[in-house]
Amino acid sequence: MTDMQHALSRRNFPRVTTAGGAAVVLSTAGGVGVASAERRRRDLRVYVLVVDGLRPDEIEPQVTPNLYSLRGEGTHFPQARSLPIMETLPNHVMMMTGVRPDRSGVPANDVYDPAVGEVRTLDRPSDILVPTLLERVAATGRVTGSVLSKEYLYTIFGERASVRWEPEPLIPITDHAPDIATRHALSAMVEKTDPDLVFVNFGDVDRVGHADLTGTTLRLARNAALASTDAQVGRFVDELKESGRWDSSVLVVLADHSMDWSYGHRLISLQWRMDRDDLLADKVAIAQNGGADLLTFTGQESERGAAVERMRRIALEATGVLSVHRPEELRLAPDAADLVVYCKAGWRFSDPTPISNPIPGNHGHPVTEPIPFFIAGGHPRVRRGATSSAPAHTVDVAPTVGELFGLPAITGGYDGTPRHEALISREELATS
Amino acid sequence: MNTLNRRQALRAGSLAAAGGVALAGGVTGALGAPAAFQHGVASGDPLPDGVLLWTRLTPSADAVPGSGRGRQQTVGWEIAHDPEFRRIAARGRVGTGPERDHTVKVDATGLAADTWYYYRFTWRDSVSPVGRTRTAPARGSAVDLLRFGVVSCSDWQAGHFAAYRHLAERGDLDLVIHLGDYLYEYEADPDGVRPHDPPVEMVTLEHYRRRHAQYKTDPALQALHAATPWVVTWDDHESANDSWSGGAENHTEPDEGPWSERQAASQRAYAEWMPVRYEPGGHIYRRLEFGSLVELSMLDLRTYRSQQVSHPFDRGIHDDERTITGRKQLEWLTSGLVTATAQWKLIGNSVMISPAQFPSTLNTREFEALTDLIGPIEGVPYNVDQWDGYTHDRATVLRTLRDHGVSGTVFLTGDIHSGWATELPADPLTYPLTGDSVATELVCTSVTSDNIDDYLRVPPRTLSLVVEAVLKLANPHVKYLDFDSHGFSVLEVTPEAVRMDWFRLADRTDPDSSAEVTASYRVPAGTNKLERAPRSLDGATPRFEAATEAERAEAERQARARQARETAPNTAARRDDAPSNEPAASREAS
Repeated sequence: MTDMQHALSRRNFPRVTTAGGAAVVLSTAGGVGVASAERRRRDLRVYVLVVDGLRPDEIEPQVTPNLYSLRGEGTHFPQARSLPIMETLPNHVMMMTGVRPDRSGVPANDVYDPAVGEVRTLDRPSDILVPTLLERVAATGRVTGSVLSKEYLYTIFGERASVRWEPEPLIPITDHAPDIATRHALSAMVEKTDPDLVFVNFGDVDRVGHADLTGTTLRLARNAALASTDAQVGRFVDELKESGRWDSSVLVVLADHSMDWSYGHRLISLQWRMDRDDLLADKVAIAQNGGADLLTFTGQESERGAAVERMRRIALEATGVLSVHRPEELRLAPDAADLVVYCKAGWRFSDPTPISNPIPGNHGHPVTEPIPFFIAGGHPRVRRGATSSAPAHTVDVAPTVGELFGLPAITGGYDGTPRHEALISREELATS
Repeated sequence: MNTLNRRQALRAGSLAAAGGVALAGGVTGALGAPAAFQHGVASGDPLPDGVLLWTRLTPSADAVPGSGRGRQQTVGWEIAHDPEFRRIAARGRVGTGPERDHTVKVDATGLAADTWYYYRFTWRDSVSPVGRTRTAPARGSAVDLLRFGVVSCSDWQAGHFAAYRHLAERGDLDLVIHLGDYLYEYEADPDGVRPHDPPVEMVTLEHYRRRHAQYKTDPALQALHAATPWVVTWDDHESANDSWSGGAENHTEPDEGPWSERQAASQRAYAEWMPVRYEPGGHIYRRLEFGSLVELSMLDLRTYRSQQVSHPFDRGIHDDERTITGRKQLEWLTSGLVTATAQWKLIGNSVMISPAQFPSTLNTREFEALTDLIGPIEGVPYNVDQWDGYTHDRATVLRTLRDHGVSGTVFLTGDIHSGWATELPADPLTYPLTGDSVATELVCTSVTSDNIDDYLRVPPRTLSLVVEAVLKLANPHVKYLDFDSHGFSVLEVTPEAVRMDWFRLADRTDPDSSAEVTASYRVPAGTNKLERAPRSLDGATPRFEAATEAERAEAERQARARQARETAPNTAARRDDAPSNEPAASREAS
């Protein structure tokens, strides 16, 4: 990540102190001061809150009372789904760009990068190929903020927001900041700079999800994370209400993907299967993304056609493999991989070696598509107490938020759909 | 409250008029001619731009159903926006004759989506009763609410169709789903409430036509057909008990001829007499869409299935060569579920898909009664006539749902003459801990056909309560079970939830029987789980399991006591412990 830190060059580092006394360091683009909140008239604030890895059936009155009641107060999309690859980076990028990975440039967390000849995490600001809401909203004179708990999310979105929080303290191994720190940062940012749009990622639920051995034995730990994250969301809502911001607030609450747990023995390793084939030996790079393996042939271009067919056949023969796809079938760019391999529910990939992925909780495969998705808040445009059959997706966030701010679609148009089901139209408001 | 208003408005309005006409049993033609439309009218399989209309013409006194007599005739039809037929939406003429038993099936097209219509047929001076029907919402459109009647197992000889009458009188149904056993093949039963016609077991085309015709003379059945479109599939009794692709339990060769001929006769008569988009040579499994809210897949679990295994310990139940759906239908079902865009994937499923273990804590007599209900089980874990006897196909369906994260699948089921609400475990091993399920199943009880109390010959809601409690203990995914009641279900579908109310008739032998609601369960969107609703759709408080809380608690206590005896060391709690002829009502569940 050091190269990333070099890249973040023009930063100011205001240190702010929250009402609770915690000190939070924010970085800001030139011109955004911590006192900017007082200077501008505010009739719309949008908060996109991503509870990383949250399953839709985990929102229920006992464990997550705040999320449950927020969902009931706003418009709920029970059919909502994550999009390929069902991983953190591609779906966060889809939320902020409104376009699918074949245009956004971010198909998975990890891909084989032919330029460097190895698999790498897509954590560079230059990996996103199109403008995001963070700079597009800021370009209209508004202030945007990012409060992203995971290190790679922070680095890929880089300096796009006017105000950024660099996640800390980072928990070793998971590389994410705990939700209480994330919420403190969010509170401080809203209190001191009051952005028009804030993009927030809470990472605890996902990180505990990854650790849950079977989805049963450590369910208590998962529930504890759910309850704690829910409490942070509840606290943030309370602050919006106490500070008088609620009536101008729209909350888009969703997950980037769901979570599936596998037994220890249910792992699929494809690397050795490829390497024992004469044509493919040492010529298949695998970017392992939990429940999805991205396979790239690195040999002679003239051999690619035959090699890819052989890779497909070998993958389909492996127990636990659900399906094999060309990247374009999933709206990934052709250079993302030659093949995408999905596993079945209750399985995971472990590549390049069988010990590469010891984590039982995974996502990336189709079982992890269903996500919670609802739009709430006190703003008059939020439709209250509604449920919609519409198939909402992560890629719909940017068009929906863009509509709220009156932004035009990006060049080439959005791939997502504004979720009008959740919004009372301006005309309707004017006549009511 | 909206619901009540809507219902009241509809009951006071034109539906009652339309139903009333149908209840009168047709309109007599000129000059003493037989009632030309004495079998009523029906509609079915609505699409956004069309709906099937059905009737049967009796052109002369001798042209009775199944007779093959009577000449070619032309029948007029019209469909209108109003019951007075002032605003006609479409009309036409269609021929019929003895080759199709003078039945008439019209695909009325060019209609507006999501719209109520009235239709009727004319022949010479005769005019049929007026039917009311509704087109489906436009493809992909947002739909706030749909209400369906759900029924199965309507045996003419076992009672009257008061269940149909109650549904017809509601006036708030968009559709009726019949899940099979619409009619029964059996010969006339001298002890029956009303005898079958023809009096013999139906085997030939003439028999099947006559039996269909007899059922279509029931006033309550006519009223419900006239009140709302139906979507139907068959189960076994439309041909013969426990049928499969190559035969049936109730089919004897060579005495009753080759099965292929009998099956073809039953399917031809069904195609002629039912408002269904099916013709012989095609397939009855099909999918109907209701905007972005519902896709309804109707299955055929008889035509392509392998023979049932002879007993439940037969390893054949796990044989991947054996099938209940046939490979082509299974592929159609699973690929449809994966690519479905509608929120709720309802599956019209003629036999239960939920696994059901029949525990050893039942006594011999109870086992025998269950055997009568579900087939030859001989004290064991499986009913081999339902999906339990074809575990490979079931695993394929459930794995597909799980692997692809398909949400909102609800199986609507009949066949078993009892009311059930169950969850389908994602993984049976971890279900008791996680409660994770991939779908739910809602089973409506029989309109009239026998169930446990009838077989046990005990008063309803006595011994059966204990049997139900025993089964629920052994099957934690079973949330609701009523082995005694006869009646119908009402299903409400909204973006928030799918919800079923179960109704039981006070007396299935009484055409004027009252009905009470005995359960209401909902599947909240995005959960694939069941929760009990404290109030029915009509605002009533359900008498769950048709019993008081104290009776339910006592039944559960007895079930747990049996379980404790069963697991206690050195205590031989055998199935034949219980006296075989006890006055069960007082002994077991007083």
